[in-house]
Amino acid sequence: MWFVRIDMTNRSAAVSEAPAKYKYLAGRAMTSTLVADEVPPLCHPLGPSNKLVFAGGITTGTPAPTSARISVGAKSPLTGGIKEANAGSSWAADLAVMQIQALVVEGQPAEKGKYWGAYITYDGKPKVEFFDATEYTGKVLPEVFPKIYEKFGDKISICSIGTAGEFGYGNSGVVFNDLAKRPTRYSGRGGLGAVMGSKGLKFLVLNRENAPGVHIEDKALFDEGRKKMIDALRTHAITKPKGALNSYGTAVLINIMNEAGGLPTRNFSSGRFEGAPKIAGEAIFETNKERLGKELYNHACSPGCIIQCSNTYHKVDGSEHTSCIEYESDWSLGANCGIDNLDHVAELNALCNAYGLDTIETGVTIGVAMEAGVIPFGDGEAAIKLVHEIGKGTPQGRILGAGTETAGKVYGVKRVPTVKGQAMPAYEPRAVKGIGITYATSTMGADHTAGYTIAPEILGVMGKQDPLSNEGKAALSRAFQATTAFIDSCGHCLFIAFAILDIASGYQGMIDECNGVLGTKWTADDILKYGAEVLKKERAFNEAAGIPKEADRMPEFMLKEPLPPHNQVFDIPESALDSVYGEL
Amino acid sequence: MSEITLDVWLYGPLARYGGNAQEKVFANLHPCLPAGTTVRDLLNHLGLPAEERGITFINGDLSAMPGMQPDLDHELRDGDRIALFHLRSMWPFQYRHGAAAIPEMAEALQQSRDMGLHHAYDPGKAPDGEGTI
Ligand code: SF4
Repeated sequence: MWFVRIDMTNRSAAVSEAPAKYKYLAGRAMTSTLVADEVPPLCHPLGPSNKLVFAGGITTGTPAPTSARISVGAKSPLTGGIKEANAGSSWAADLAVMQIQALVVEGQPAEKGKYWGAYITYDGKPKVEFFDATEYTGKVLPEVFPKIYEKFGDKISICSIGTAGEFGYGNSGVVFNDLAKRPTRYSGRGGLGAVMGSKGLKFLVLNRENAPGVHIEDKALFDEGRKKMIDALRTHAITKPKGALNSYGTAVLINIMNEAGGLPTRNFSSGRFEGAPKIAGEAIFETNKERLGKELYNHACSPGCIIQCSNTYHKVDGSEHTSCIEYESDWSLGANCGIDNLDHVAELNALCNAYGLDTIETGVTIGVAMEAGVIPFGDGEAAIKLVHEIGKGTPQGRILGAGTETAGKVYGVKRVPTVKGQAMPAYEPRAVKGIGITYATSTMGADHTAGYTIAPEILGVMGKQDPLSNEGKAALSRAFQATTAFIDSCGHCLFIAFAILDIASGYQGMIDECNGVLGTKWTADDILKYGAEVLKKERAFNEAAGIPKEADRMPEFMLKEPLPPHNQVFDIPESALDSVYGEL
Repeated sequence: MSEITLDVWLYGPLARYGGNAQEKVFANLHPCLPAGTTVRDLLNHLGLPAEERGITFINGDLSAMPGMQPDLDHELRDGDRIALFHLRSMWPFQYRHGAAAIPEMAEALQQSRDMGLHHAYDPGKAPDGEGTI
C-alpha cells in the first residue's frame, strides 16, 4: 500500500510505502488518525499547516457491494475541529485499486490566485503530475467537468471544488463525479472545499489504467462475506430493488418527519410544514413519471452500489434538472425555507452542486437570512438569487457563504440552529430527542450521519438501560457513534446499516469482508472498539483545538422555545450529554 | 348519536383510497364518523386493508409500524389528524428513537424484541412484493 503526499508549497509529490503502524486503518479511521497525528490542532484551517487527507474504506475497490466510499478529512474551517466527510464515487474505487491507502495534500503555494490540478496515474507505483488549472476557476462545475474529461479521457475520475472552495467559504464541499460523469457527489460538510482551495488545488484526477487492484488476504472468507452482504441488501425492504430507497430515495422521509412533527420548518420554528407533501419523495417520483411518461427508479451514485438510492429530477420538458435531491437537501432548501415549489428546490439543489456548496449548510443559512428579513420565507426565486450571490462571491454572498453561524451573527439572529458551528440537519431534536444527543455530542458538529446502528448486539453495550430514559439514550448514542465510525471506515455506504441491523447474517457479512481483505480475525466487539478508538482520537484533537465538552450543547432556543405541534423543548440534561464521551 | 370529524392523510400509493383511484402522491380527507370510531373502523370506512398500511401517526404520535399494529382499537377523537403510510415508506430507528408514540405503541415497542431497535417487526407476515420496514 502507498502513501502519496502532495506538497503544494512547491508542487512536489512523494510516494512511499504506507507506514506499518497504519496497517489496518482505512476510510475515516485513516483520515482522522492522520489529521490527529500530523495537523497542529491550533493551526488555521486555511493555513499551510492544515492537511487534506483522502482515504477509501477497507472494502473500497473490491467487488463488495455498495463500497465505493471516499473519506475526506482535515481540520474544518466551519467547526474549527476535526472533520471527516464521505461520498460515493468511482474516484474512491480508483484510489483503492491504485493501492493508495492515503492521499495527503499539504503545504500552500506562496503565489495567490493560481490553481493547479494533480493527475495521478499508475506505473509500477502511483505517479503524480501537475497541470495549470487556473483557467477552470471562477466557473460553474457542470461547465468544467466535461473539459477535464476531454483533456484526460473518459476513463478518469475527478475530485474538485467549486467557486465556494475558491472563495474559502466555511460552506464549501469537495465534489466527486457520479457514474454519469456529473459533478454531484459531495463530501459536503464542514468546509473541506475551502481547505483544498487554500492549497491552490482545483483538481485531483485519477487514471486507474494498469493499477493492480485491491489485495485481498483471504479471498474465500471475503467472498463469503460479500455474498451475505448482497443477500441482506437484496432482501431488506429499505435497501432491496424497488424498495424504499430505490423507489423514493431518502426524500421519502419528508412526509414521515412532517407527520411526526419533526420536520424543521421556517428556520426551526415549527416541526410541521404544510407544503411538505408537495416536495416529498412521492411527489418527486410522480412528477418525474408525469414529465417522462414512465416510472423512473433511482440509480447508483458509484460503481457496485446495489441499493441505488440516488435520484434525478426532471424539468417540464423532460430534460434533466438535477441529481440528486436527497432528503436533507429537499428539506433544507424546501421546508426549512418555507419553499413548497419542487422546481425551485431542484434549482437550488442544482446551484449548490454547480457552485460547490453543501446543501444542508446552504438551506439552513438561507433560513437564518429569511428569519432576519433579508428575503421572505417561502420566496423560492429570491432564495435562488441569494445562492447565485454566494456562488459569485458578492459581498452579501460571502457573508452567507461563511455558513449559518456567521450569517446569524452578522444579521443579529438568535435562532441559529448549529452545534459547534455546523448547521443542523433535518431531524428536529425537540421532536426526536435521541438524535439530538448525537447532534450535540458528535465530534463533527451537528451531523445526522454520526449516529447509525447496525446490530442488535449493540444493546449489550448499553446494558439493561431503558432506551427511552435519558441515560439509555446517551448510551445508545455512544454506541451508535462508535458503530458509525467503523462503517465510515469499512468502505460501505452508511445505508447498508438499514439492512444489517435487521439481518444478522448481513452484519456478519460485513465483518467477514473486512477480515477477508485485511487478514484479521475481528469480532463484533472488535468493530465497536475500532470505532471507539477513532472517536477518541477525534475527541482528543477537538479538545486540543479548544473545543471543550461545554460545546456539546444544543443552541439555547431549543431549550426554551417549545416546538409545535408537540410543544416540546430539548430537555436532555447536560449530565446525560456529558456522559456520552465521558464514558467512552 | 354525535359525530366526529377526522383529518386523514394518505400518502403515496395509499392516496388511492382517498376517492381518486389515480392519485399517488397524497390525499387529505375529512370524514365524519360516529363518536367512538376506532382506527380499525376508520380503515374499514376507507376500504383500506390494515396490512396495506405501515407507519401511522395520530396527532404526530407514532401508532403503528409495518408488522406492528397496536392501534387498531385506539379510539379517535374529534379533530384528530391521522396519517397513513404505505409499506415502502421508512423511518429508520436512528431517526426515530425518542420520538412520541401513542401509549399502545410505546408499550408494544417496549415489549418487542430488542425494545424496538429495528426497521422490521414481523417480516414473516409481510405481503409479498411489498416492503416492510
Ligand atoms: S446507497 Fe445511495 S448514497 Fe449509498 S452508495 Fe448507493 S446510491 Fe450512493
